[in-house]
Amino acid sequence: MGRIVGIDLGTTNSLVAYMDAPTGKPKCIPGPYGSTLCPSVVSLDPDGTIVVGEPARKRLLTQPERSIYSVKRLMGRGLADISEELKLFSFRVDPSSESVIRVQLGEKSFTAPEVSSFILRELKNWAEAYFSEPVDRAVITVPAYFNDAQRQATKDAGRLAGLEVLRLVNEPMAAALAYGLHEKPAASGGKVAVYDLGGGTFDISVLKLISTGQGDIYQVLSTNGDTHLGGDDIDNLLQAFVHEQILRNDRIDFSPHGELAQELRKELIALKHDLSEKEITKLRFPLPSGSVFEFEFTRGMLDALIRPVVDRTMNPVKRALADAQLKPEEMDEVVLVGGATRTPLIRRSVREYFGRAPHTELNPDEVVALGAAVQANILERGVTNMLLLDVTPLSLGIETYGGAVGKIIPRNSPIPASAQEMYTTGVDNQTGIDIHVLQGERELAKDCRSLARFNLKVPPAPAGLPRIEVKFLIDANGILQVAAKDLRTGEAQQIEVRPSYGLNDAEIERMLEESIEYAEQDFAERQVIKARTEAENILVATDKALAGAQARAIPAEERAKIDSAVIGLKEAVAGQDYKLIRKRIDDLNQATMHLAELVINSAVSTALRGKSVGEI
Amino acid sequence: MFALPRKLWVDLGALEQKFLQLSWKLHPDNFVNATDEAQELSLKGSSELNDAYRTLKDPVARVEYLLAIEGERKEGEKKQQAPPELLEEVFELNESLEELRATKSAGADVAALKSRLEVAEESFGKKLAAVDAQIEATAKDWDKAVDNNADAATRKKIMARLNEHLNRRSYIRNLVLNVKKELEEA
Repeated sequence: MGRIVGIDLGTTNSLVAYMDAPTGKPKCIPGPYGSTLCPSVVSLDPDGTIVVGEPARKRLLTQPERSIYSVKRLMGRGLADISEELKLFSFRVDPSSESVIRVQLGEKSFTAPEVSSFILRELKNWAEAYFSEPVDRAVITVPAYFNDAQRQATKDAGRLAGLEVLRLVNEPMAAALAYGLHEKPAASGGKVAVYDLGGGTFDISVLKLISTGQGDIYQVLSTNGDTHLGGDDIDNLLQAFVHEQILRNDRIDFSPHGELAQELRKELIALKHDLSEKEITKLRFPLPSGSVFEFEFTRGMLDALIRPVVDRTMNPVKRALADAQLKPEEMDEVVLVGGATRTPLIRRSVREYFGRAPHTELNPDEVVALGAAVQANILERGVTNMLLLDVTPLSLGIETYGGAVGKIIPRNSPIPASAQEMYTTGVDNQTGIDIHVLQGERELAKDCRSLARFNLKVPPAPAGLPRIEVKFLIDANGILQVAAKDLRTGEAQQIEVRPSYGLNDAEIERMLEESIEYAEQDFAERQVIKARTEAENILVATDKALAGAQARAIPAEERAKIDSAVIGLKEAVAGQDYKLIRKRIDDLNQATMHLAELVINSAVSTALRGKSVGEI
Repeated sequence: MFALPRKLWVDLGALEQKFLQLSWKLHPDNFVNATDEAQELSLKGSSELNDAYRTLKDPVARVEYLLAIEGERKEGEKKQQAPPELLEEVFELNESLEELRATKSAGADVAALKSRLEVAEESFGKKLAAVDAQIEATAKDWDKAVDNNADAATRKKIMARLNEHLNRRSYIRNLVLNVKKELEEA
């Protein structure tokens, strides 16, 4: 079995982390550009290559019609629910999309789980390059408010990326785990609020930590949030403000999505970060007219500008506390997650509301991925001294007569959770009963989120006689399973719950086949290529050394050894076994050690010839 | 699952301890590397545990459950009918709600109606609290009856009272929710 990692599949950035055995601490894995943050951007090059992360982010500007960002917003959603998103984001939806949305990237179109799987695959590659070992299992984090369809879509994305998803963990839970709050004696039995303001989403959860004889338990008491509130809103406010200033002073009105606006946005984000450290800073922005727009920003001005965003986070905070039946001052710990929580105003507001200083020791961008790695490690070891008890964020209900919703599992119930419903027929010899499963807090089916519709088969009988028990079960990942049993015959009925906005098994199978077309070569293949390149290099170097003057200085016996090692390596390179190639590279290195020494000594002495010791 | 007697008073602290203890044994996280069969069992066990905990933690759900397992829970046709002593007030409330809707669609000022409804909301809120107190008191009667090994007839009487309280509670609760919704929309 391969390695196991924790992945934060974020709206704006994604990260991969693992448990570092020597230090016993989780660590994020950096990608080829040195950063641990992989922008959640995917781009399709005209030659069919999928590009992910930093290079894809650059293509957002140069070829926006072939690139997509914030795909997380489309996960597990139907055309009807994303009309709001379409106003805010420039997703190009394939007009031939059916229940599952497909987004257009150039000449091809993909579902959201497929696009997410490209990001996951990229992170998998980062980890495999880092370990030089295959990675095949992962714990992936999801926002606490994610419904069944969104969780299912995330799990599907993992499967499409060649990862077995051991568990979907809620992001706030992961953040608390990363902080290891249970390790502090003061926090035992403590209540923790996790305030997570990401790029585009806000999430608040109330957790309880309990120390027991067997170990520590993390229990989620309640969760709430706003899916359209985040650091991006701060940037938007800042940008709108500066646009207006420029319009007033320089009479230049630039379209909010043009290249110039993107440039300005970059400057403003830098300015915002600057104001997290300093009280005052200056913006200098060259305009196409040749003049330069100059403006002095103080932290106070920024605070006044972003106050509405901070205020909007407080309503979900209050609702979450009310659901947990707790008051702000009863919190023992407050944890900040998400890059936007670096803003001093947010830190101050949170501190004032809860009456205590929040935790900020860990990098707020990394904390969720680190926690996922902790959970991955717990699950891998099997026996654990830590247990996560999660809740379902939304009530589960069934459509009843007249389009109303009968709730069967209330929100914030600990999961796994189940409920039984009894069904019978209304007409003689009725052969089926339609069942519509919904998730949400509203009273009418049309206002809730449709999870699944299915038809319960009933053997023909007089009306009211059949008694069919349907069991709805939400598993530890927050995903729905349904089973039915005919109480008269005792016969169990298999129900395939086809998610209203999800992929079915056949579709996933087909995508898995297709994904090979887009995917980079698998791990072994990439290893073979890497090993071959290395072998070529060393063979060339050996040839060169053997042709040189120093080769004459080595004994015949040694020469024979080198020759046979060269032949051995060449044979291995012709095959597909990267481990054998590596071994033969080592053999050749061993055999040429003396020769290499001679070559290096001679090179050094050549370089030094004619120079005095003092010059060296 | 919690091996508790069929009584309505529950020591919530002890219940939580037991819940956590059983969670350690049953939670699916402990069975990630186990056989499919063991994983199935863990899922079944832990969902039943969580369902039981959810029911027992909530005093009203607890009463409903007791009546259900005793075969005495009757929601009946009477459920949606106003309890007689509330009839007058409910009429008034419905009139105010009608008026509010009419005034709103006419675009007129709803402030006066709103404050009238707020008073009604508060009054029904108090009634709800009173029903909860009744349920609590009757729950104590039930526990006493169990302790004294009371006969089936006595038990049945207490359960009938509990049943009535529950129906009354659900009626008043729906009213309060309705008023809240209308007030929010106004």
